[in-house]
Amino acid sequence: MRRILLGLALVLCLCVSAMAAPVEIELVQYKPEAFRTFDALAEKFNKTHPNIHLTISSPNEPITILKTRFIRENYPDIIGIGGDVNYSNFQDAELLADISDYKGLANIKKAYLDIIDGLKFVPVPGVFGVPYMANAAGVLYNKDIFDAHGWKIPESWPEFMKLCEDIKAAGIRPMFFGYKDTWTTLAPWNALAVDIAPADVCQRVNLGETTFSKEYKEVADKTFALLKYAEEGPFAYSYNDACTAFARGEAAMYVIGNYAIPQILSVNPKLNIDSFTMPGRDDTNHTLNSGVDIMFCVMDSCPNKEAAYEVLDFLLDPENIQAYVDEQNSVPCQTGNFKLTPMLDGMRKYIDAGKMADYHDHHYPSEMAVDAQIQTYLIHGDAKAFLAKFDTDWIRYNRDIIAKLKKYMAEH
Amino acid sequence: MKSQNERKRTFMMIAVPILLLFFCFNTVPLIRGFIYSFTNFRGYGKFDWVGWRNYIDLFTDTRVGNSYWFTFKLALVATILINILSLIMALALNSKIRFKSFLRGMYFIPNILGALVVGYIFSYIFTYILPAITHAASMLASQTWAWLAIVIVCAWQSIAMNTLIYISGLQTVPEDVYEAAALDGATGWNRFRYITFPLIMPFFTINMVLCMKNNLMVFDQIMALTKGGPAQSTESISFLIYNNGMNGGQFGFQSANAVIFFIVIVIISVLQLKYLNKKEEQL
Amino acid sequence: MANESIIAREKFNWPVTILLLLGLFTVLFPLYMTVIIAFKQPSEMTNDVISLLSFPESWSLENFREAMRVTDFWRSLFNSFLITAVTMVCAIVIHSLMGYAVARNMNTSKFYRFSYFYVVSGMFVPFAILMMPLVKQTAQLHIDNMFGVIVLYVVFYMPMNVLLYAGYLKNIPIALEEAAHVDGASTWVTYWKIIFPLMWPMHATVAVLTALGTWNDVMTPLVIMSGSGVNTLPLAQLNFQTQFGTNYNLAFASYLLALLPMLIFYLVAQKQIINGVINGAVK
Repeated sequence: MRRILLGLALVLCLCVSAMAAPVEIELVQYKPEAFRTFDALAEKFNKTHPNIHLTISSPNEPITILKTRFIRENYPDIIGIGGDVNYSNFQDAELLADISDYKGLANIKKAYLDIIDGLKFVPVPGVFGVPYMANAAGVLYNKDIFDAHGWKIPESWPEFMKLCEDIKAAGIRPMFFGYKDTWTTLAPWNALAVDIAPADVCQRVNLGETTFSKEYKEVADKTFALLKYAEEGPFAYSYNDACTAFARGEAAMYVIGNYAIPQILSVNPKLNIDSFTMPGRDDTNHTLNSGVDIMFCVMDSCPNKEAAYEVLDFLLDPENIQAYVDEQNSVPCQTGNFKLTPMLDGMRKYIDAGKMADYHDHHYPSEMAVDAQIQTYLIHGDAKAFLAKFDTDWIRYNRDIIAKLKKYMAEH
Repeated sequence: MKSQNERKRTFMMIAVPILLLFFCFNTVPLIRGFIYSFTNFRGYGKFDWVGWRNYIDLFTDTRVGNSYWFTFKLALVATILINILSLIMALALNSKIRFKSFLRGMYFIPNILGALVVGYIFSYIFTYILPAITHAASMLASQTWAWLAIVIVCAWQSIAMNTLIYISGLQTVPEDVYEAAALDGATGWNRFRYITFPLIMPFFTINMVLCMKNNLMVFDQIMALTKGGPAQSTESISFLIYNNGMNGGQFGFQSANAVIFFIVIVIISVLQLKYLNKKEEQL
Repeated sequence: MANESIIAREKFNWPVTILLLLGLFTVLFPLYMTVIIAFKQPSEMTNDVISLLSFPESWSLENFREAMRVTDFWRSLFNSFLITAVTMVCAIVIHSLMGYAVARNMNTSKFYRFSYFYVVSGMFVPFAILMMPLVKQTAQLHIDNMFGVIVLYVVFYMPMNVLLYAGYLKNIPIALEEAAHVDGASTWVTYWKIIFPLMWPMHATVAVLTALGTWNDVMTPLVIMSGSGVNTLPLAQLNFQTQFGTNYNLAFASYLLALLPMLIFYLVAQKQIINGVINGAVK
């Protein structure tokens, strides 16, 4: 009798636990600095969704971790990554699921869907990620210095050059570069390229329709022109030096993205920062340099897409987006009326109008080291040689993609 | 005879399992990497076979060529500098000095400090402190001098390790050898040249090989100081292999680079070992 | 004459001591910078030489406390300690045996000469080429955990340590073992009774070099144990660096904390190297 009772109890237990066992969803996101925000989101999700158990991890060195997990074929269900060349590679390696049927996509700004669509090496149909947050790059400026001298945000390249002259004349250093860290050379380069060169320039070069020598000439010249307004020997200083210098008021402007703001504020929390879109063109019709800072991709191997979509629904809930934006000073990719940080006021009208384009370097293969090539060019000053090398190297580093693309275009 | 066999068998029983372990976790992955060098593999996902293309590219890539030139220049200068200095340090720290433990401990610290700290501190010294003293531009921003800054930091960090090996070598020199030398009137340089140095020659060999290897594989110091700049003048071979192979999408191509690099250093080191071993026998 | 030399030896060599103390500046200055940065707040960081080199506003231990909290210090320390200690013990046992087998047969047997060069050349394989195959291999063998990391370390440090042991054994006369053999002891017993204890200075050197390499290593645990949630100290220290910002103050505090155990270990090992019994034994 006792044994039967015990057995019954056991069966009952098993039944209950089987019924209650929630679906496990694992999300790995690549911004360790946002781990608190994500931890809070996961906790809130698990409280409100008893049928799914969500784990969000925010590892250090996330891309290395993800790649090694892919090698082991130990895939998470959802990954939160940036809209950059890693996404292109993961997509091209057919690791990501097509989520065109996900309803939440309807609320995402078209500009950002276009941006991630443009990141595919080959324009295969399908949507492989939900853009979540964006970043914006251009010029950060010290509002107090600007206000004290009555300087206005420049609307065109000639105005910008005039402003730099005025700042210099006032005995202030217009900008500070940290070009020892080669990647920072991409900040002005991208901001100018987005404004001046066509957004699909890389794909058009791949198809043999144009050359970088033609499309990037003005970008190269204008990036070089900025050196005149920076500190002596910018190749000796690091990104960290530049952030510190700007934070301490040693320069009126810093050509970089909003991602640098936390580092700047850590040195000087009281700094009054605002930003403006890089006025690269001689007219006033500009485009903001903005990319997808974090997007969510469902892995192709995820066994339970419904549950994954439920997680995405939760993350895209306006209330949760606002919480994320407040904590991380980001720009949401979803339509709707969100309250943004005042440090992006100067860029606001471009964000609201959706007038933006992706960082060009997201299309450059990282092994080509375009950042180092730009640094070399800025040291030597020979734009023609630099662009000629850009063209020849491009074909060499991208030949597999070019071949794939041409094949695809011929077939479709 | 029986004991000869016993000796042989014991040595085999020691060597074979250890060699197997080594084969499994060093040679097997190396072979796999070698196979990937014939592909355009990214490290994960799908890939295609590309035949000898990666190798042909390697020999026509000026960036790879420059990295070889830079790496060998750096390794040669750094190895000589480090060996001279650490031999002097070892002799000094091994002599009858006051505060021996304290001094040995202090001089070992550079070897323990992490790359982040070393990078930050030395960047600061090169970018701000030295120019303030010399009124010259920063070495790190100069294509002519950046490599020398890296040599200095490599030396600063690795002298401790090579000194340690020399010190343990000096322990094998029996005291009575010195006493006999003193009776013969050999002191100072002569004592070192004709007595100490020949006796620690095996350690000189080891240090030359280890030092050469460490410097040929220089990576941390470059990431910490110059990130390959200015104008790509300090890109070492390891820097390319790691940054483009692991972080970039060029795993296949950089595997080819690693294979060639491996063969080159093995040849250099085996020649070095054979030459120095012969020297040891002559002494 | 003999008495004189003993008296002379008792005296400290003051000129060398003073030179070494002066040379200490090259270590103390970077160390001073590390310490004051570890005590400062991010808002005290400047690009100005004088104010960066000046003392922090307060000598509060808050940074150290915070660094310990962020890195989950005690647990990470324990993991690092475990990996380092086990690796070290395995290295001393396995590598010294291999070094012994190789050193005693290299001159007579082709097999051992080949083994020597085979193992030593493993040192020159760039880790980047092994990394991805090893990630796959350790996962297939289900050792993508601490055990796997230790196995890999034992393999990685084998070339250097075999080189060191084999070099050291050249200076240990073979006559010692032969005497034991005549007494009827087996090779195995002779090794543990006579040779192994003779190599203490080298064991200490190997221990220091192996421990140092494993203690500071980020890459191996990162790629092998990724996602397992087990943190070593260097892995936890990655918390201070993100793509667009580094908290140098907390990082430096944390590096200083990580430096201490190694420094203490080194000082203890130093005593072993110096007090080596070889002088007495060879006489």
